[in-house]
Amino acid sequence: MTAYVLHLAILAGIYIILTVSINLIIGYAGQVSLGHAAFYGIGAYASALMSLHYHFPFPAAALTAMLAAGLCGLALGLPTLRLKEDYLAIVTLGFGVIVDLVFLNLEITGGPDGLPGIPPPSFLGLNFREPWHYLILVIVTVILVLIATYRLVDSYHGRALRAIRDHEITAQVMGINTPAYKVVVFTLAAVLAGLAGSLYAHYITFINPETFGLHTSILILTMVVLGGMGSIAGSVLGAVILTILPEMLRQAHAYQELIYGGLLMLLLIWRPAGLLGRGKLSLKFLKRES
Amino acid sequence: MLTLKSVQAGYGRLPVLKGISLHVRSGEVVTLIGGNGAGKTTTLRTISGLLPPRKGAVEFAGQDLTRLPPERIVTLGLALVPEGRRVFRTLSVTANLELGAYHRRDKSEVRRDLEEIRQRFPILKERAHQAAGTLSGGEQQILAIGRALMARPRLLMLDEPSMGLAPRMVTQVYHILAELKAQGTTILLVEQNARAALKVADRGYVLETGRIILDGAAADLRDDPEVQRAYLGKGYQEVWE
Amino acid sequence: MFFQQLINGLTTGSVYALIALGYTMIYGILGLINFAQGEIYMCGAFVAVLLLATGKVNFFLAVALGMGAAALLGVILERVAFRPLRGFHPLVPLISAIGASIFLQSLALLLFGPNDRPFPIQFAFTTIMIAGLPVSTLQMTILAAALGFMGLLIVFVRYTTYGKAIVACALDRDTARLMGINVDRMVSLTFLLGSALSGAAGIMMAIYYNATYPRMGLLPGLKAFSAAILGGVGSIPGAILGGLLLGVAESLGAAYISSGFKDAIAFAILILVLLLRPQGILRGRGD
Repeated sequence: MTAYVLHLAILAGIYIILTVSINLIIGYAGQVSLGHAAFYGIGAYASALMSLHYHFPFPAAALTAMLAAGLCGLALGLPTLRLKEDYLAIVTLGFGVIVDLVFLNLEITGGPDGLPGIPPPSFLGLNFREPWHYLILVIVTVILVLIATYRLVDSYHGRALRAIRDHEITAQVMGINTPAYKVVVFTLAAVLAGLAGSLYAHYITFINPETFGLHTSILILTMVVLGGMGSIAGSVLGAVILTILPEMLRQAHAYQELIYGGLLMLLLIWRPAGLLGRGKLSLKFLKRES
Repeated sequence: MLTLKSVQAGYGRLPVLKGISLHVRSGEVVTLIGGNGAGKTTTLRTISGLLPPRKGAVEFAGQDLTRLPPERIVTLGLALVPEGRRVFRTLSVTANLELGAYHRRDKSEVRRDLEEIRQRFPILKERAHQAAGTLSGGEQQILAIGRALMARPRLLMLDEPSMGLAPRMVTQVYHILAELKAQGTTILLVEQNARAALKVADRGYVLETGRIILDGAAADLRDDPEVQRAYLGKGYQEVWE
Repeated sequence: MFFQQLINGLTTGSVYALIALGYTMIYGILGLINFAQGEIYMCGAFVAVLLLATGKVNFFLAVALGMGAAALLGVILERVAFRPLRGFHPLVPLISAIGASIFLQSLALLLFGPNDRPFPIQFAFTTIMIAGLPVSTLQMTILAAALGFMGLLIVFVRYTTYGKAIVACALDRDTARLMGINVDRMVSLTFLLGSALSGAAGIMMAIYYNATYPRMGLLPGLKAFSAAILGGVGSIPGAILGGLLLGVAESLGAAYISSGFKDAIAFAILILVLLLRPQGILRGRGD
């Protein structure tokens, strides 16, 4: 039983990183990624391949994962982020489909069979084979990510960025390059998703394309909306609830996606600000315009 | 016919109309003049239902308009020629005119009105199949007026019909208004061009920062030194020479 | 070979164009993308296939009911997922529509299972020679039907009062209301038309590929969206042109470049268009 609780805690930690990263995109760009699972997957595969083929130690593999996901995010964000909100959603959705195809069709990714035997991390003389130890690694990473996010949100740049988001035209008139800022934030979010992928790969030690499909992107999005778009604390809560809840409702497994889809719609209609309401990153625009 | 009683309205937290009362009697041409940001357009948006008032009453022919949406208000016989003309640019001139009569069910009468309006404004017949966006500013203004007339309004409201037009076109537009007046059309005319508006109107109101500061017969307003100074551009010469 | 690929491309392209019309019309009037367009397509196919499988309904009635069901679903979807969220930031209805899309997909999965269903009736389609080139009558029929539906839509939008009213709403919502046009009703009508066309597209593909399944709408939806962008979102001729071009590009790309990544071609085109000419080939809103 404790082993199971540990397992859920580790997964929840990984999802927290993913939800926080999507929330950055929502909060700073007013856009949403539907291909976040693809960045997650790219991170996982990059990290796994580096450890399997080049025996990279975990920190180096994780860095490669972040770099790979970040580069893809940059390539995707550049053409799209200066356009209307809907474009990024569709482009990232398409990106997710393509990445899924790539994982399935490439030889190096093991096709549908995936990659087994990914080594658990061991560095600085520490061994993270034990779930307890791994949980500590995840918790430390999550805390670092949260601190970094809060610092970004509260920093001078963060506040400026939000001001830009709310008054984009003014900012553009003043000569501030708003799309460039959005691209930076989007890339950062992809980097974080890559990090989450690396943590996942070295924990489960086996990955296949199934984990990184559209349903995972939707799950992450549901977590964010449940907790509250724009609220970092909400992201944490949403991730924890939706990691635990499906486990408690095992018999409802077949209905999982149905529930997520319905939840997304109903939440937005009844409580668009999510469970925790409006946080620092919240969009002014969650309010109805008069 | 139309009565506004202490109407307040605004956008978001910003109040624009701070209690406006005015009325238009049947057969009258009434003008509402004032500078930029005085609330002229807001007044017309409030009457036509695009911006529901916060307080006060708007009554037309004994009916309360305050809770009605614009698509209902137009059926009562109130038509607005909006600021900036707002013709449907990609639709043909004829389609624009037809949409003016969208709410009418008397289709044979609509056809007759269409013919009549094309006769009155020959340019609309010449350009019948052209996209409205390709017309010149003045032609678009004529189209917008024709479109509003297609609704067979009992009260025609115009928002700055001379804005952005060449002087020759302004003359033409005001010629049309004088004709409509001669036919007995009831008109509420909003203008920054006070000189032209007061020439055609019977009565006028002067609006300043959301309040009516002056009202009276058009001729009296024309002679009012305050109006002359602020809106008719007279007096500058005296000051500067 | 080239000719055959061209015909293949035009056939699938005409179906993409039908779906793209739905995207573009809804975008034109609401300024939003209906994420669940692919599920409406799927719904049309399922209703027609299930009705035909009973053996009690003739083909044309099944098509009509399939399109009708898709249209109804579109109208309901607008009421549930879009209308209550009007006035919020566009991200909110967007995510709500994503929710609707997932919901409908998984509902179909629960109701009908994951497997492909063959089309219940067999047609006597053959290959005939036209000017020395082999032409499949199935492809010709689909192409003709799709073009026919497009023609009907264009006639409706250009020449009927409701059609013009829809355009008026797309161009200038406030002024349309001043004409006495009920914008909500026009939005419903737009969803109805766009969804009926997507439903028809779904039925065509169910016949063409002989497969109907819950996730069938995902890729065509994505591709049709790319087609709408390619043509200039908001433009009706643009959606048609974009759909046909995309279909041909995909078919030629699969034949001459790589068939494994056929589905990636539309996406690559989307990215290219967004980079080079985000307003599309024919720009427009309400034409």
